[in-house]
Amino acid sequence: MEKHNKFSRRRFLQAGGATLAGSTCMPTVATANQTQQSVPALQRLLRSADVPAAKGARVIVVGGGWSGLTMAKYLKRFNPAFDVLLIDRQSAFVSFPVSNAWLADQVKLDFLSHSFFDAANNHDYHFMQASVLGFDHESRKVYTDRGYVDYDYLVLAPGIEYDYSRIGVEDSEAQNLLFHRYPGGFVTSSELLTIKHKIHEFRRGVFLLNVPNGDYRCAAAPYERACMVAAIFKQQRLRAKILLLDMNPEIKIKKAGFTRAFEKLYGDYIEYLPSSEISGIDVEKRIVETDFEEYNFDDAIIYPPVRASRLIEEAGIANPQSPQKTPDTDPFKYHLPDDERVYVTGDSRSQPFSKGGHTAHSEAQYVAEVIAAHALDKELQWRSPQTMCFSAVDIEPLKAMSIITYYRFNQQSHLFEFDRTHMIEKWDAQGGQASLAWAEGMYRDMFYS
Amino acid sequence: MKLFCNAFFIWLVIGLPFTAALAVEPVRIVLEFEPDIDNGRRTFEICARCHLPEAWGNNDGTYPQLAGQHVNVLMKQVLDIRSGKRSSPTMQPFVQQRTIGGYQNLSDVVTYISTLPMNPTHAKGPWSPSSAEYDEGKNIYLQYCASCHGATGEGTNANAYPRLQGQHFAYMQRQARLVRDNLRVVNPAMVTLFKSLSDDELDKVLNYISYLPIPQADLASSENWRNPDFE
Ligand SMILES: Cc1cc2nc3c(=O)[nH]c(=O)nc-3n(C[C@H](O)[C@H](O)[C@H](O)COP(=O)(O)OP(=O)(O)OC[C@H]3O[C@@H](n4cnc5c(N)ncnc54)[C@H](O)[C@@H]3O)c2cc1C
Repeated sequence: MEKHNKFSRRRFLQAGGATLAGSTCMPTVATANQTQQSVPALQRLLRSADVPAAKGARVIVVGGGWSGLTMAKYLKRFNPAFDVLLIDRQSAFVSFPVSNAWLADQVKLDFLSHSFFDAANNHDYHFMQASVLGFDHESRKVYTDRGYVDYDYLVLAPGIEYDYSRIGVEDSEAQNLLFHRYPGGFVTSSELLTIKHKIHEFRRGVFLLNVPNGDYRCAAAPYERACMVAAIFKQQRLRAKILLLDMNPEIKIKKAGFTRAFEKLYGDYIEYLPSSEISGIDVEKRIVETDFEEYNFDDAIIYPPVRASRLIEEAGIANPQSPQKTPDTDPFKYHLPDDERVYVTGDSRSQPFSKGGHTAHSEAQYVAEVIAAHALDKELQWRSPQTMCFSAVDIEPLKAMSIITYYRFNQQSHLFEFDRTHMIEKWDAQGGQASLAWAEGMYRDMFYS
Repeated sequence: MKLFCNAFFIWLVIGLPFTAALAVEPVRIVLEFEPDIDNGRRTFEICARCHLPEAWGNNDGTYPQLAGQHVNVLMKQVLDIRSGKRSSPTMQPFVQQRTIGGYQNLSDVVTYISTLPMNPTHAKGPWSPSSAEYDEGKNIYLQYCASCHGATGEGTNANAYPRLQGQHFAYMQRQARLVRDNLRVVNPAMVTLFKSLSDDELDKVLNYISYLPIPQADLASSENWRNPDFE
């Protein structure tokens, strides 16, 4: 506890010092204090943020993604006495699920974009647009770029970030350049807009896509995206090739379905190369290196392996030994060790559940109930999240496959494993329509009803 | 293939313009369909993407057991969710015309579901039949519930009284509380009853219900049975 606390405080100040004062050395509390006095902007960070006074136990949810939005709604549902505040640094929500169908013009951006105001108004909680910098266990404060807020419970659901070092791009300037030129489209909405533009502007040559390794966000989405890009190229009869470099030895999910789609629908467009570990990228020369080959490309979408949001590390709760810099949490109740007031959910969780919006949504309903139960001194039985994932394969009309899966805890190995799974690997228009119904249902639940 | 001839009671919600206070009025329309089981199976693919091919629901109560439920009960729930009378934001888009189709498809799919064999190991409540709590639950059941839902929780199709046998304990717990707290609209008699029971009594009667025996003929051969239509 004590260790956490000091660490997170220092990390917070370090983050503030580095971004706002441009300091490059490791700031101590003393240097940060000096900076604070000399830079008025920093003083803002250390005063109380302008939010409505709490009318009950305050629960702060950090991150308005699939996990945080569901969490905020159901916290209020399970305990109406909670005063819930959702914080996100973005001004609006754009859905990643179904975004691949949007790339291929099968839905409008309106379908994917929703307002945090609607979510908060319809579910009786507060929303604040701010960047969270860290938190302090002892005084129970969350620090944001708009000041601090006191909490009774804190849920961290800030999602993921890219880990460019795992494809051989170490230097932060090079990482930034790569991110902006060839964004992966898995973390922020600007990436999606850039990608759509790229795909629709592409005329001829090699368009490179990749599938990362490790437990990356949405196992099926990179294969789905290859299908959607190919569908557009096919529609426009481009003389173009999609090079799909898979860092895994084989297609990770819905293998039979995607294999059939790559062969039957997009044989002229997609070249699928498994076991292609990317070891470096030359952005200027447009070359991707793997352990054995070099590939030239004309344009690309580079999806590096992922890690938990940097906020987890900056708050001092990441386990440095964990491959994705995730925090150690109670595997069933999601709270930090020794602190039942701080929870970590969604794609930055430590449990090995498939990183998906549906996983985050079903999990958050359960964790909201856990927190409500804790406030009443009650216990709740663990229940498995569900992972449900549709994959668009063809367009006009949209056609999709789907999978649903559950998890169980193996008492012998002490590991989570897959439980019942139901996969529909044939794609059809009914599946396409079902995928839109699924997404609409989720948006309804998180924003409107 | 037309197997059955059935009459469905279809509840439609019709908006009456200009009568703000009475803007929505349920109108009961009886429509006749001949369910086509084959089409029901095909249509059920949409449902099975979440409810799984057996429609057995989950022990943790996140999905109900649908297999073996009465046709009219399933139909009423589908229509209520379709119209928004029963709130299920995540299911609502699936039962719209644009996804699942029209009344014919609905009648086909609910008929198909009603023929599925039931889960032989659904989740039961915490108090075994030898406990005092079980007996208390039984007394409440016989006094208040049995007259409509039947002595063994079999329900009736004609009145659309749900079959309670085989329903997961956690699912009933959640639904009963939603009804009690006016978050799910059902027959007002249910609300009155649930409000009159304490939390404890409610759990005991649901516990008793979860142990009601299911006729052997309606059960799947084992918990490992898998719906051959989806192999
Ligand atoms: C192309 C694509 C297709 C996908 N398809 C599917 C699918 O079909 N089905 C499915 O289930 N899943 C799918 N997913 C995965 C799904 O989008 C994610 O798993 C889901 O978004 C995870 O939810 P989350 O809440 O954990 O994270 P996110 O949704 O990423 O939310 C995190 C939020 O935290 C905010 N945040 C982060 N740091 C801070 C900070 N310091 N201060 C304030 N705010 C912060 C971010 O702005 C963001 O809004 C897909 C993803 C992609 C990219």
